[in-house]
Amino acid sequence: MDVEGEPFDRRLSRADMLKLGALAAGAGVVAGPAAAANAAISRLTAETGRLQVMDWAGYDNTMPHHAMFQAYLRKYPHNKPLFINMTNEANALAKIHAGAHPDLFRPYVGWVKYFAESGLVQPWDTTLISNFKYLNPFMVKAGQHNGKQYGIPDDWGFDAILYRKDKVHPKSRSWSLLYDDRYKGKISWYDDPVENLTIAGMLLGFKNPWNQTDAQLKQSKNFLISKKHLVKFIWESETQLDQAFASGDIWIALAWPYDWVLARKKYPVVYMHPHVGRQRPIAWVGMFMLLQNTPRFHLAHAYVDAWSSAKSGRWLEDNYGYGHANTLAKPSSSALLKALDLTNPRAVTLPNAYLDRDVPRRAVYAQLWDEVKAA
Amino acid sequence: MDVALSRNGRRLMRVFFALVVVFLYAPIAILLVFSFNKASVPSFPLSGFTLRWYHDFIHNGAMRGALETSAMVAAVSSVIAVALGILASVALARRGFRGKGLVTALLLSPLVIPFVVLGIAMLLLFHVLGVSPSLETVTIGHVVIVLPYTILVIMPRLEQIDRSLAEAAYDLGAGPLRTFRWITFPLILPAILSAFLIGFTTSFDEYALTSFLIGTRQTFPIFLYSALRFPTQLPQVIAVAVVVLCASLVVIVAAEVWRRRAEARLEAA
Amino acid sequence: MGGTAAAPPRRRRRRPDLTTPGLLGLPVSWLVVFFVVPIAIVALYSFDVLALFPGPHGFTLAAWRMFLSGGPYLHLFLKSVEMSLTVSAIVVAVAYPLAYYLALSGTRRKYVLLLLLIAPFLTSYLLRVLAWSVILGDQGVVNSFLFWTGLRSPDHPLSFLLYSRFAVMLVLGYVWLPFVALPIFVTLETIDRGLLEAASDLYASRRQAFLRVTLPLSAPGVVAAFLFVFIPTVGEFVTPSLVGGTSGYMYGNQIVDLFGQGFPDWETGSVLALFLLVVVSVLTLVFVRFLRVGEARPA
Repeated sequence: MDVEGEPFDRRLSRADMLKLGALAAGAGVVAGPAAAANAAISRLTAETGRLQVMDWAGYDNTMPHHAMFQAYLRKYPHNKPLFINMTNEANALAKIHAGAHPDLFRPYVGWVKYFAESGLVQPWDTTLISNFKYLNPFMVKAGQHNGKQYGIPDDWGFDAILYRKDKVHPKSRSWSLLYDDRYKGKISWYDDPVENLTIAGMLLGFKNPWNQTDAQLKQSKNFLISKKHLVKFIWESETQLDQAFASGDIWIALAWPYDWVLARKKYPVVYMHPHVGRQRPIAWVGMFMLLQNTPRFHLAHAYVDAWSSAKSGRWLEDNYGYGHANTLAKPSSSALLKALDLTNPRAVTLPNAYLDRDVPRRAVYAQLWDEVKAA
Repeated sequence: MDVALSRNGRRLMRVFFALVVVFLYAPIAILLVFSFNKASVPSFPLSGFTLRWYHDFIHNGAMRGALETSAMVAAVSSVIAVALGILASVALARRGFRGKGLVTALLLSPLVIPFVVLGIAMLLLFHVLGVSPSLETVTIGHVVIVLPYTILVIMPRLEQIDRSLAEAAYDLGAGPLRTFRWITFPLILPAILSAFLIGFTTSFDEYALTSFLIGTRQTFPIFLYSALRFPTQLPQVIAVAVVVLCASLVVIVAAEVWRRRAEARLEAA
Repeated sequence: MGGTAAAPPRRRRRRPDLTTPGLLGLPVSWLVVFFVVPIAIVALYSFDVLALFPGPHGFTLAAWRMFLSGGPYLHLFLKSVEMSLTVSAIVVAVAYPLAYYLALSGTRRKYVLLLLLIAPFLTSYLLRVLAWSVILGDQGVVNSFLFWTGLRSPDHPLSFLLYSRFAVMLVLGYVWLPFVALPIFVTLETIDRGLLEAASDLYASRRQAFLRVTLPLSAPGVVAAFLFVFIPTVGEFVTPSLVGGTSGYMYGNQIVDLFGQGFPDWETGSVLALFLLVVVSVLTLVFVRFLRVGEARPA
């Protein structure tokens, strides 16, 4: 008799095997209903044609009262949009390539040309958008490519410098304040390859900071690396920045208009639009884009039309602190009005600001920014 | 003489130990203090006692939702991991077979893999398969990292069990499944529950791997991480942190005490 | 134990053993599908066999060559290794006396004290990091306390406390310290007291006994403890992202950024991830060999 043998070592009969298998498979049952539910949802979507919107966090169903698209919901009460999250434009691109099929999504103006030429999107029919005529003409122009309207502008704002008036004394109205040796450890940069390399390029006097040559990019990158030790941290979310200003950790940062509105409640702060030489703030504009071959052409237009109304615009300005492309939308806060320079329809374009634009060598910019962070 | 420690040495060590324990628990204590602090920014001087933050977080729907989601994911993934762990432990607790070392290594390897690598790897897998990140993908990931723990807890217990009990059952004509169900399983039950508890707490607290696999629903750590950037939410976050930290300390101690008592009783029986 | 007579004649034909593969089938498949295959996919991305965006691609070592040729990413890896080494060394140095006290002082409550030491490790990681971020800020607990007691003026807070390498190392050390005491404790516990008594009988001083007996015998535990903290911290990204700022940016953060930020570069990101995995695996194998863990044989 085999001394090491135990009961379990007896050969299992096929029946015992099946019993064991069933026991083990019981665990898989738990995952079953979830998969079935998913399948049901996708069937439902195709049948009822639910609008699929790919948008940034905070612009989906969690938005209070679905404020930005209330008009759409009133018109199509049984077709609440289905939201897919995008963390940024590249993420959206990756998701679309991986098989997600939203009907529309919202990259920012610097990507309009890229997506327009990619074959992934189609132009809008502006006759179907009743609020189109109220939209800021310069922003509208920025959404065009080859004469067709690929992007419908929605939210917008500036990249400019926010600083503590009581602690910081800039030498001039220049981006150089972000790299000022006097304020080591009190500066915060924004985590974006294009903004940082472009601003560096602007400061170094390059003719086209959005399309720098290899040699120019190398200079910009090295400049940033040389100044990195002045930076306390690189902010990714606005509230991270707001908290840092509020706690006094940061005195100088690249910031958006609403950050000024929040910071001035606690400290004397200035929102400085750089103006030395050819330096200007950068304006960014969100652009709705319509995907090719969407089966919900009219629903998508209705959604965008709801977003474009003055009422929605005012809500956005009052609650999220961004500007809105509808020229009739004025915020309740006079501070925000001032920060956005809303009385000036040319605020987002020259001679006041550089509207963000296509970056042909975006991948290179991204790689170099990663190297700056790693250094 | 005691060659390991002199009397003074012992005293010194005791003080050092106490200091380290204070260091380890101080941040928790500080959170505790500030959770009752009136001001919404945690800094000295203290501004008065309030229970407001505890009240606020209990009524914070988003936070409650995240806690529930985490509990659900933790429960499901732990059950699956324990089930898989039992199967694996039973197989590994016997005599060796060819490739046992390799299989053991494979089953335990999630312990050493950096979560950033595992997270990226699973993200890519789901991308290739065309599966969107969701609570299901998170659960799958949690099973992977919890499974080694369940094996590490259950297998030693299986090896400890007096083989003669199982042999006696076999001699009396019981098949392997019956033996397992009536003899082995009850004996390893404390270990199974222990494994479930470890899995639950690991999954509940898990942020790193989850951050790659999460869709739009939030688990509690995901919620916490993003809430860390909301200055207005911070006091509530501190309150809930205190509750979670203290509760888990109590649970850990209680579980350990219970496990030892249960196993001692089973040994005596 | 049973008899040791000659092996009985084989009466039954051996049927294939289904039990072990049957039992192992599910757990192993789960790990193969959700662990081994994903890592293989990472490898494929690193060689550009698979790619994120459509376009021409095929097997190439270009990304690997660029990484290994000493660029910024390799440099960042070394920086992370340096940070992890420092943290690990300090943590092990602090944990050793603790474990020594518990194991060798003869205190009666040693398991209770051990639990007291380890318990924080078993609570939430994220919440413990959060606690430090609350404590270390310019207006945080430490600084405001210093202002309040007049030790520092409110215009000059201790700025290096948060968003710095220091913060990352402090928090990582804090997180791992409880866990690290355990292997050292276990090794010290199993030292045969007889050896120490023998040393004492031979008129060895305490210092000699420690250096010649205890320390060498506890070496495996120390190495284990060191690797227990080194291996996870090398790839850390959560703590650096919360308290590290620009100077506390670590290798793990770079990997995350290559997959998420700006314009993702999955090929390079996969190279970095796989490289980290290889390094960690090699270290683990060395460690396992060193300890002869696996088939525990009775002494």
